[in-house]
Order: sequence, then C-alpha cells, then structure tokens
Amino acid sequence: MSAPVKTLLALAVVALAQTAVLAAMVIDRVMLLHTGREIVLPIVPVDPRDLFRGEYVRLGYGINTVPMTPADLHRDETVYVVLERKTADEDWHVAGAARSLPGDLNPDHIVLKGRFLWGGMVHYGIESYFVPQGEGARLEGLARDRKLAALVAVDKAGNAVIKGLIVDGKVQYEEPPL
Amino acid sequence: MSYRTKIERDLARWQSAGWLSDSGAAAIRADLAARRPAFGAAAGLAMLGAVLFGFAVVSFVAANWDGMSKLARILLLVGALWACYGGAAFLFARRLGAFAHAAVVAGIAVYGASIWLIAQAYHMEGNPPDAMLLWALGALLAAAVVRSPAALAAAFVLLTVWTSWERSESERAHMVFLAPWAAAVATAAWLRWRPGRHLAALSLAVWLVPLGFLVLDRHAHWLVVATGVAVALATSMAAPAIERWIGAAQAIFAYAVAVAFSGLFIMQVVEDINLFSTAHRLSTGQFGALAALTLALLTGAMFRALATGNRGALWVGYIAFTIEIFTIYARMLGTLLNTSLFFMIAALIVTVMAWAAYRLHRHETPVAEPAA
Repeated sequence: MSAPVKTLLALAVVALAQTAVLAAMVIDRVMLLHTGREIVLPIVPVDPRDLFRGEYVRLGYGINTVPMTPADLHRDETVYVVLERKTADEDWHVAGAARSLPGDLNPDHIVLKGRFLWGGMVHYGIESYFVPQGEGARLEGLARDRKLAALVAVDKAGNAVIKGLIVDGKVQYEEPPL
Repeated sequence: MSYRTKIERDLARWQSAGWLSDSGAAAIRADLAARRPAFGAAAGLAMLGAVLFGFAVVSFVAANWDGMSKLARILLLVGALWACYGGAAFLFARRLGAFAHAAVVAGIAVYGASIWLIAQAYHMEGNPPDAMLLWALGALLAAAVVRSPAALAAAFVLLTVWTSWERSESERAHMVFLAPWAAAVATAAWLRWRPGRHLAALSLAVWLVPLGFLVLDRHAHWLVVATGVAVALATSMAAPAIERWIGAAQAIFAYAVAVAFSGLFIMQVVEDINLFSTAHRLSTGQFGALAALTLALLTGAMFRALATGNRGALWVGYIAFTIEIFTIYARMLGTLLNTSLFFMIAALIVTVMAWAAYRLHRHETPVAEPAA
C-alpha cells in the first residue's frame, strides 16, 4: 500500500472511531428516552452554581437525600436506590439503597442508579438541565415556588434521563430525542 | 536585517579573507535561492482567509444553535469532524504537511467540542473529567494512526488536564493516569518525535508534584523529593545506558531536579503556611534543616550539570537556587544579623561554583557524558 493511501486510510479510521464515540453517546441517550419507564419527580430548589457549560439550572429532588446508604461508601461510588409509591397520586419516595442492582421488583417500585456524594446525598445524573437563553431565571423561580417537576425516563439498569419539565401539571420543554 | 543580507555580508567577508572560493560562494548562494521560505504572501493571505471563514461559520452556528433540532446539531458536528479530516487528507495529498497536521488538530478540537455539546444537548451529568479522557484518547488515536506529532502534543495536554481535573474533584491520587501516559510516551517513541520526550517528562512532572498531597497522610511530599532525587541519581550514574535506551538523559536529569526542588519548596513554603495565624507551622530548626538539604542537593546538581555540560539542568539549578534564597530570606526576615551572615555564606558558595565553572569550561567540555 502506498504512503498516500495509507494516510487516507489512517484519517478515515480516526474519523470513524471518533464518530463512533459520538454516535454511542447519542444512541445511548435516545434508547433511554424511547424505552425508559416514565416517572414524575417534583423539583426542590438548589442554590445555582456557575459553570462554563452555558446556561443551565441545577435541579434538586427529594430523592437526593438517601438516609439509608450502605456504610463506608466512597465518594463517586455507585449506589442503587429503590423508590416506591403505593398509589398513583403519591410522590415517589426513597425506600432503600443497595450496592448492587436489586432484581424482581413490582410496579410499586423502581430502581435508580445513583452516584454517592457525601453522607446521605446521592445524584442520579438528572440534576442539571440546559435551558434556552433567558429561561434560566424563570425556571429557578418556579422551582423555588415548588411548581416544577421533572419527567424522567428510567431503564431497567436504573439509568435516568430528563425527558421534560412539568410546570403546574403540564409538560413543558419536552424535547424530541433527535 | 534579513538573513539574506546578513549572509551576503558574511560571504563577502569570508571571500576577502580567503576562506571561501568563488565557486564555494556561488554554491552557497544557489542553495539559498533553492530553499525559498515555505510561507509566501499568498499562503499567508490564504491562512487569514481561512481563519475569517472559520469565524464566520462559528458565528453562524452560535446564532442558530438553539433553533436546531438535536439531529441537525449532531449532523452538523459530525459533518464538521469529517470535513476537518477530509481537509487533512486533501492537504496531505498536496504535500502540504504543516497545514495537513493543523487540519488534524482542528478535527481533534471539533471532536472534543462535540463531546461537550452532545452532553449538553442531552443534559448529561456524570463525571466531567471522563469526557476529557474520551477526548484525550481520541487525540492519542489520531497521533498514532496518522503519525501526527501535533495530535500527540494535544494528547499530552489533554491527559494532563484530565488528571488535574479528576484529582481536584475526587482528591485521590489517580494513579491510572500512568496507563494512558505510558501509551502516549510509547507513541512518541514510535514516531521518533524528540520534543515528545519533553512533553512526556513535563506531564509526568505535573502529575508527580501534587502527589504528596494525595497519598498516605496527605503530606507525603518527601515521596516526591525522593523520586526526583532517585531519578536524578539514576540518570547520573547510568547516563550512557539511559541515553541508548531512552535518550535525553540530560533533560531527564533536569526535570528530576525540578521535581525534587518542587517537593522541597512545598515542604518549606506551602506546608509552612498557617491559614489561621501568621505563625509558621515549621520550627526554625525544621525549616533550617530543609533549607540546608535543598541547598546541598541543588549545589550537587549544579556541579553535576557543570561537569556534564547540561545547560538545561544548570538553568533549573539557577532558578531553583534563587527561589530558595528568597524563601530563606522571607522566612528569616526577623533576624537581620543571621540573615546577613547567611547571605555571605551563600555568596561564597556561588563564587566557588563560578570558579569551578570557569575551570571546567577552560577544557572543552563535551556535551555528552565523557567516554572515560
């Protein structure tokens, strides 16, 4: 193989590999949005923090506080949190936490995969939401007034993603997966 | 004055002194004429035009980004990625190597930006430093497969940012850094890219120095100092072997001295600072011992550098010595008499070293380790 063809091939390999990484990111999320079970989680206000990733809001949930995490969990370790609700009118609340994925749950329960932060605080990857320019302040105000809830899709492994935001019972900011 | 004008004057001087024949001068002029600079006015304007075009595209995208669907954004990013690598292919085919490698680096930049923008589009949270690792590995792949030193430089920078970020979040030692770092070093060796060794040493040094804050009792800076000293000793004693297997024994020596001094500096200054009062954490005796040790090590290193003609290490020594002197001065600000005595001693040491340097340079000092 001549040198110019080798270079061409090499560049193609790199472009393909990098595209594959990006595609994997997208496909992973789209699958989650399409096939995940939908649950609604009310949002509690959190002090916003500046970050360079554009205008986004920090979201907090009641289920971020998990009092019964296993002992000697390190920061950033995975913990599976079981939520339950008895009736459809109830909010989901924390029922238990474990180091590994619990199996065989009835529809009253759902498992979310979380990242342990510090004593009792667990994050599920749904604590930030990027908003269109100028919408941030309004949403944070709604969160402070406790009028905001998140529509979350959860798959069987416990991965969660925000599908949309619910204001006063109506779904807003629901984005199509693509 | 341009190189051409200077060389014309030199040629005339050498010819009149009889060192250069007419045919020799003609040959030199012909050679210079053949080696025209790679970048003429046309190339410069083209580059400017390309940069302006790039800004136009970026502004357009930024203005319309919010209105685009996720699919449109993804296609745009992937399109830009392929355009960069396609451009690189085109430039390689036209034998415009420098521009081609620039296009590869642009591709790596688009790849990184795409990771962040897709993460933002899908509200991805998780561990941001992981995105840096993905980016760095992409750069490393480009460096190895396309044989691009520019991409490798980017990979080293990204790996260093990754480990620094990860450490600031998790406050753990992050030893896993060494794995992709080793892969990058192997790539540098495989590409036979000599500046790669400096990047490798630099990134390792940046990783090593804070290690004292992150392992054992979190004040284990003696580890960093010991590592630096050990590497410096090893390169001193086994210089020919190192030169054969790794090369750049002198540069490694210089970096090792810098790392050792950084560890000692942290012990004397950073760990000495008390956040809640102006009192020092280290007693005068402890500080004095550390300072004496530092000066002794630096003096030894500089003598060694003088003996082997290691300019880089000598400069590291000069700078470190100066910083150490200032550190001691700042600490001893209270006791003026001791301070002046100390500076007298320091001046004596430096004078001795200057004399040693003069004596050593009187005999032609070889750049590499003497064979005997």
